[in-house]
Amino acid sequence: MGVNGQSADPRVSRSKFEREIDEFRRFASDYAKRGWLLAEADFPRAFVVMAAPQLKPPPIVTGVQFDYTDYDLRPPSVRLADAFGREPYKASELPTTLLRQTESEALPAGLALPPGMLAQRMIQQQPLMQSYGPDELPFLCIAGVREYHEHPAHSGDRWELHRREGAGRLARILEIIDTYGIRPINGYGVNLVPQVSGLTQGEVPA
Amino acid sequence: MPPKKIDIAVVVNGEPTEVAANPKAPLKTVIPKALEQTGNTGQPPENWELRDGNGTLLDTSKKTETFGFSKEVRLFLNLKAGVGGGWA
Repeated sequence: MGVNGQSADPRVSRSKFEREIDEFRRFASDYAKRGWLLAEADFPRAFVVMAAPQLKPPPIVTGVQFDYTDYDLRPPSVRLADAFGREPYKASELPTTLLRQTESEALPAGLALPPGMLAQRMIQQQPLMQSYGPDELPFLCIAGVREYHEHPAHSGDRWELHRREGAGRLARILEIIDTYGIRPINGYGVNLVPQVSGLTQGEVPA
Repeated sequence: MPPKKIDIAVVVNGEPTEVAANPKAPLKTVIPKALEQTGNTGQPPENWELRDGNGTLLDTSKKTETFGFSKEVRLFLNLKAGVGGGWA
């Protein structure tokens, strides 16, 4: 690994980073309507704020910290982060885990069907944000993200297989976060905690 | 006489291109053209999603003309999430 995690020619990484930013800015008004706002871009990092414009008032849901160091020899690092302080969220702090619905024919471990019976497809929800524990930094578990490809469980799905598909491009990763984390939001969760403040009295007798 | 083609701006993973579309053909016919024009040939067209400017996923099996696109329309084509969300 080279200086500051950069092995590729820094001019190449910078040029590709600037292409990402230029293309985002070209369609910035379209993206803004969807709640995607580029807050900062300074090679190798970009910070995008994502809001949910479908709600009134619209909430800022999360920030997304991109790090394009060594791109595209390596994929970009992607972290969900506090939109104001820019600190990456721990797993327990995530405003969204990017739940995704998947279908599976596999049975839970330890279960088996009687002979001749066909398994029904099971629908399950799976978070795209994965972590080892609530105090750990979660990562976006999809191809095209550095933390995914550097995880030992994904050594068989190398970045080189996805690099030419544009899997690490800014717009594509934002689209996925939007699809699973922003667009499904359809309201505010509210907890009301009634408190007894005393007794009330009806008609006052003469 | 074949129907007059319409030009549709498609932004592929953030990169713009313009595709000549047959209004009588399903919208999905623009996908391979947009991918080819932007050099994104590593994944088949079914692994891509086409959305309008509001981010709404489009039913690409419908004829292009049914969407009533204006001349200024811009569609967004992005690679699907693929396998993910698990450790292995």
